[in-house]
Amino acid sequence: MNERGLVGHGIVPYLYLTPAILVLGVFFFGSFLWVIMYSLGTLNVFEQSFTFTGFDNYVQLFNDERFWMCLGNSFLYLLVTPALIAISLACALAIDAQIRGANTFRLLFFLPVVTPTIVAAIGWRILFNEQSGLLTTLAQPVVSVGDAARIMHAAFVSEEWGLLGGNAHPAVAGVMATLHVEPLSTPRWLTERPWTLISPMVVTLWKGFGFYMMIFLAGLLAVPRELREAAALDGAGRWTSFLHVTLPSIWPTMTLVTILSSISALKVFDEIFVTVRGVPVDHQTAVPFVYDAAFNQGSFGTACAAGVVLFVILLVFSIINLRLTRDRS
Amino acid sequence: MSAGRDTPGGRRPLHISAVIYCTALLLAALSIGPGLWLVLGAFQPVGAAAGNPLDQVVQDGAITHPSTWATTANFQQAWRDGDMGRPLLNSIIVTFARAGLNVILAALAAYPLARMRFRGRRIIFLAILATTMIPEQVIVVPMFRIALNLGLYDTLAGVVVPFSVSAFGVFMCRQAFMQVPKSVEEAAVIDGASSLRIWWSVMLPLITPTLATLALFSIIFAWSDLLWSLIILQSPSQYTLPVAINSLLGTFSTNPRVAYAASVLALVPIVVIFIATRRFFRPEMFGGATKG
Repeated sequence: MNERGLVGHGIVPYLYLTPAILVLGVFFFGSFLWVIMYSLGTLNVFEQSFTFTGFDNYVQLFNDERFWMCLGNSFLYLLVTPALIAISLACALAIDAQIRGANTFRLLFFLPVVTPTIVAAIGWRILFNEQSGLLTTLAQPVVSVGDAARIMHAAFVSEEWGLLGGNAHPAVAGVMATLHVEPLSTPRWLTERPWTLISPMVVTLWKGFGFYMMIFLAGLLAVPRELREAAALDGAGRWTSFLHVTLPSIWPTMTLVTILSSISALKVFDEIFVTVRGVPVDHQTAVPFVYDAAFNQGSFGTACAAGVVLFVILLVFSIINLRLTRDRS
Repeated sequence: MSAGRDTPGGRRPLHISAVIYCTALLLAALSIGPGLWLVLGAFQPVGAAAGNPLDQVVQDGAITHPSTWATTANFQQAWRDGDMGRPLLNSIIVTFARAGLNVILAALAAYPLARMRFRGRRIIFLAILATTMIPEQVIVVPMFRIALNLGLYDTLAGVVVPFSVSAFGVFMCRQAFMQVPKSVEEAAVIDGASSLRIWWSVMLPLITPTLATLALFSIIFAWSDLLWSLIILQSPSQYTLPVAINSLLGTFSTNPRVAYAASVLALVPIVVIFIATRRFFRPEMFGGATKG
């Protein structure tokens, strides 16, 4: 740190900062104040009119079942985080151990990160095509197992013409009922729950693991190799040395990746908007809800109120992140 | 490629190596898969069965003649009816403007924050960092209105200006400036150079790797941006590639291959840029995030 600046006196430092302060001040801080204001009234963006209505938007929002479903879906979307950590950490460990072709793998795993999300989502839509997509074809055998269960159910337990009729032992009937999964068609990846949430999650996972792999690799670089070699000399096995040496030293990276990926999961828009194009809004998550309320329904006040709710949730995650970061340093 | 360094715990048994290797190959295939499917789909003739494009390429265990599965008709239609030339140009303009401004404005703001003493330095830096806690996704409505009032609605400038600087960029540049030894600056001050001159011809050249990384990240984000561009752009003549592709999905819903062709147009440039600049995408460059 400089004790005294060598250069720049008087207003000079502020001149350097002016453009950045203007942009961030107007578009981020300005918008932040306005979003709270707008959430308390009715806004017509194009006629520039605003009427203050108190907490009406929030009352309306909290009575809107679709909003709760979107919020619930946003929390379900957080399930990408453990999957992302598992895959990206595994990749980072493999590349860090310098498997043959490590650099090529690192390059390939990063390709999804640079792929524009809309392009990725369209590519995945081909694989998810409900008639002939590769994933639908691959799901066929799984579905056949379900079909077999249904046939067995009909043959043994069915009231009308099952062999055991209504007299099947409760245990048998129970097992059959469990196996009796409806519907027994291939998954409707792009149109039916829960796939309408799972398919975009797959895209998010695909697009993100290479990025978090890089962060894990950076974390692994910071672990002194001697430490791990010392553990090996002590006769620690691969698994023990991972558990007791590697894992504790990349724990800060782990928390960072958890928070970063959770925050971006809560902010997801593109993957849902494109992958499951056209599904009802209550199949989607919080940000698509905000977009729909504002730019399809024209209820800007509701959109702002939903935005504020989402902001509060994100803030909790950011504060946890800050706390963890501070604890480290 | 090196023969593989011995891992802790001695040499890896063969079967474990095989499992790791197969998983890595599978993930590599998955990383390329959707892009490959998209490219094959974009070249498919309109009449071809939807779904697995490889079915047409490989028949009876042999690769068939390209004319049965490849046509440039979809590209021609995307270019002609979808009018993709304009969005391509718009995307290039927006992406380079955003990357250029992000580098310049962040490097400008970071210089006094790292190297000068002035009132409010700490509070300004914290305020800039605080913007990372206000994601665009929750403030799109007021952002839209501010852009509208500033006359930025339905203009390319409207896509660029709100994202012309980021807290992340300022933070990165500040870290880089702080690494530069003070003696470098002292020499320039003794020579009587102005602060702007020192910034431009002494400091900036010393942090080029950081600036390049920042530029590349900005390029990737700007090229991919959908939400804000969707909101701020209204006339097709202003569309960027992601917005144009999104609209193609609607207008050519009966022949999605036109949208695939347009997607290939959006995919190829960024992949080329990535491969050409791959040396910047080293784990070290992602280490800054962990130092938070």
